[in-house]
Amino acid sequence: MELSTLTNKNVPEEEGQRSKEIIQYIVIRLGEEQYGIDIRNIDTITRMQHITRVPKMPEYLRGVINLRGVVIPVMSFRLRMNLPADEITKATRIIVLKLAEEGNVGFIVDEVKEVVSLSVDDIEKIADSTKEGRANLINAVGKHNGELISLFDLNAISLED
Amino acid sequence: MDVSQYLEIFLDETKEHLQNLNTRILELEADPENADTINEIFRAAHSLKGMAGTMGYKRMQNLTHDMENVFSEVRNGTIKVKPEMIDVLFQCLDALEEYTDNIQSSADEGTNDNEPLIKMLNDILNGGGAEDAPAKEEAPAAAAAPAEKAPEGCKWDSVHLDSSQISVLREAQAQGKKVYGLNVLVQESCILKAARAFLVFKAVEELAEIIVSEPSAQDVEDEKFDRDFTLIVLSDAELDAVIKAAENVSEIEKVTGALMTLENRKTEEEEAEETAAKEAAAPASEPAKAETKPAAAPAAKPAPPAPKPAEEKKQTPSKPVVNRTVRVDIEKLDALMNLVSELIIAKNSLVSASSQEQEASTNNNSFNEQIEYLESVTTNLHESVMKVRMVPIESVVNKFPRMIRDLSKKLDKKMELYMTGEETELDRTVVDEIGDPLMHLLRNSADHGLESAEVRAQRGKPAVGSIFLDAYQDGNNVVIEVRDDGNGIDVEAVRNKAIERGTITPEQAANMTDKEVIDLLFLPSFSTAKQVTDVSGRGVGLDVVKSKIESLSGEVEVKSKLGEGSTWTIRLPLTLAIIQALMVVVGEEKYAISLGSIQTLEDIPPSDIKLVQNKEVIHLRGTVIPLIRLNEVLDVESKRSPEDNLIVVIVKKGDKLAGLVIDELIGQQEIVIKTLGKYIKQCKFISGATILGDGEIALILDANALI
Repeated sequence: MELSTLTNKNVPEEEGQRSKEIIQYIVIRLGEEQYGIDIRNIDTITRMQHITRVPKMPEYLRGVINLRGVVIPVMSFRLRMNLPADEITKATRIIVLKLAEEGNVGFIVDEVKEVVSLSVDDIEKIADSTKEGRANLINAVGKHNGELISLFDLNAISLED
Repeated sequence: MDVSQYLEIFLDETKEHLQNLNTRILELEADPENADTINEIFRAAHSLKGMAGTMGYKRMQNLTHDMENVFSEVRNGTIKVKPEMIDVLFQCLDALEEYTDNIQSSADEGTNDNEPLIKMLNDILNGGGAEDAPAKEEAPAAAAAPAEKAPEGCKWDSVHLDSSQISVLREAQAQGKKVYGLNVLVQESCILKAARAFLVFKAVEELAEIIVSEPSAQDVEDEKFDRDFTLIVLSDAELDAVIKAAENVSEIEKVTGALMTLENRKTEEEEAEETAAKEAAAPASEPAKAETKPAAAPAAKPAPPAPKPAEEKKQTPSKPVVNRTVRVDIEKLDALMNLVSELIIAKNSLVSASSQEQEASTNNNSFNEQIEYLESVTTNLHESVMKVRMVPIESVVNKFPRMIRDLSKKLDKKMELYMTGEETELDRTVVDEIGDPLMHLLRNSADHGLESAEVRAQRGKPAVGSIFLDAYQDGNNVVIEVRDDGNGIDVEAVRNKAIERGTITPEQAANMTDKEVIDLLFLPSFSTAKQVTDVSGRGVGLDVVKSKIESLSGEVEVKSKLGEGSTWTIRLPLTLAIIQALMVVVGEEKYAISLGSIQTLEDIPPSDIKLVQNKEVIHLRGTVIPLIRLNEVLDVESKRSPEDNLIVVIVKKGDKLAGLVIDELIGQQEIVIKTLGKYIKQCKFISGATILGDGEIALILDANALI
């Protein structure tokens, strides 16, 4: 609920002052690193729940969950980024993203930390791939309170294999 | 005027009219003299023209206009129906269809003027009427300009007056009032005819007293009139003033009027002779009347027009009584369906909660009763919603007679299509999809199936080939059969072709049964037609048919006898969204298997398992059935020890059987099928997922893909 109000507020603001665009990001933690996801792409964040495995799927595709009567595939962000497999803790969450092509897809993250607002000046685009398989999901780095947050390129997250 | 909001209605109705025209023209071809058919065609063409005009589609209007001219001549008997003419007309219909498609995709009719077609139509007109020039001159003019040419000159003279009305009029006339007859013509583009008519009534009433209205005031209010209505009024005012008052109402095209004399009006006693005289006059005014039919206002679907005396006399076919229907957006139905699905899930969870409850305390009878009641209500609700979504396959198969006719000409083979069971109903989504596969099969039958005339003669078959399309319901399935009395499938030819193409080795070929060989036809890019024709034989086809039918959870089979013909059988499930399923456990996971594909459940001791060609099989009541261990297919550990008896679910696909080995049975359940989305598509034997009573997800196994 909170999320949707945030998103809604964000839109007129953005339209009002295009020159100084402010984008809100949800900051998540995967292992030691922090990543930001554009809040406009997020449908819901839910607690970890039972995931029904689907046979013959790549390992990072953990299975499907029931989200309010809709079946949604869930993948592991860690495995997707070639990090060690998830450790499920109390902080583990499933972030459901709205992807243009594939519809809603859930991603398992270690923790959801906060919402930050970054103006375009704080965001630095980075050239592709420093490390194979990982960096190509990241297309920019945001600076916030002296910390660096890698920002996901959601187009790259969507299916490519 | 903004008509975009009517676009959908326009498209729907246009398609209906086009379909109707297709069917009727086929009828006309078979029976060129049938007046009913000609009238029906004329009317449909006219409606089309009116609708296209209203929506501002000029090219479409022009083409229909010229078609209408031809029909008008045919109806008047000045042109005889000729085969060439039917061909041209069909081409016109194709062109109209093209316009409609364009409109559907871009709200624009496109830029094709179809001048050659219009020229051909005009040639028909000119050629046909040559020997009867004067009559021809007159009639097309009437057809061309219904608005101008149908002045309804003395329409008010033919208005029926009963004796009391006549005496009222006579009395008033004696008192010095004048009796006027008025005819009001509403603009063709007018959308709210009834409202305009009401304003006219209002305006006229200020100056005059309306004695009679034709159609009646009530009918006019209900929009049960074409474009004009006739009034007989009493007034002190001048005729011009009355006409002016009526003309001042907007969207009124023309008001004509005249002083009426009552001398030729008779009271009841003299009526009998009158009717006789009128009858003679009626047919003459009939064309004009039909002209102005429902042309305008696609907005409100006009109620069936009040029967007109003139038409009745002409014995036009009585229109089928229109069912009271509502057009509903399929999305709204889907939403309703989803809600029903949710309800069923909620019900299932209540049921499972109550069965747990029951173990704790057994004295909760009324609770259980209510649960059972809820169960029956949800089942009924589901059935009703499914029924709402059901449509007859008629809408799809209706275009086939036309297609076969065209094929017959193109291939130069005589053939006839016989259809039964067009009224068989299927889920809307399925009906929308089966058109193409059926078309493929029919084309196949026409092209490959039926032999050439010479061969048929040699074999002593009737010269005209027969293709049958039969549809019927069979339990929870709908079966559609495409049958022909042609050559049948040449199994040896298929075998050789397959070897030649490298699809199978000669050794494999030798071991294959005829049936297995025929199944090769369903493989991609496999065509046995010796020649690639326009119609079929490009090797794209049967595999598409198969995959399409399977994507609808159906199956397709073929039986064939060389020299006698073949039968293609398509079997489709009635519904797609909710099915009865058997819930099973494999390892720790729950799966659902559609009850439709399950034959029996068996308890098999491990000692009964035999090995054939290194594959596990069981011998069951005289049949050898291969075993499929689901835990291996699904990559899970089985919970059962190897010494335990196996629980085997025997499933059937066509003639093939297989035994699925599972760990545990849960029971039968009504499940709602949900798609897994794009990500999971690549898993072949999972056809979907369902949400269980406890909110968990169980995957649905597609037994067909496993066999």
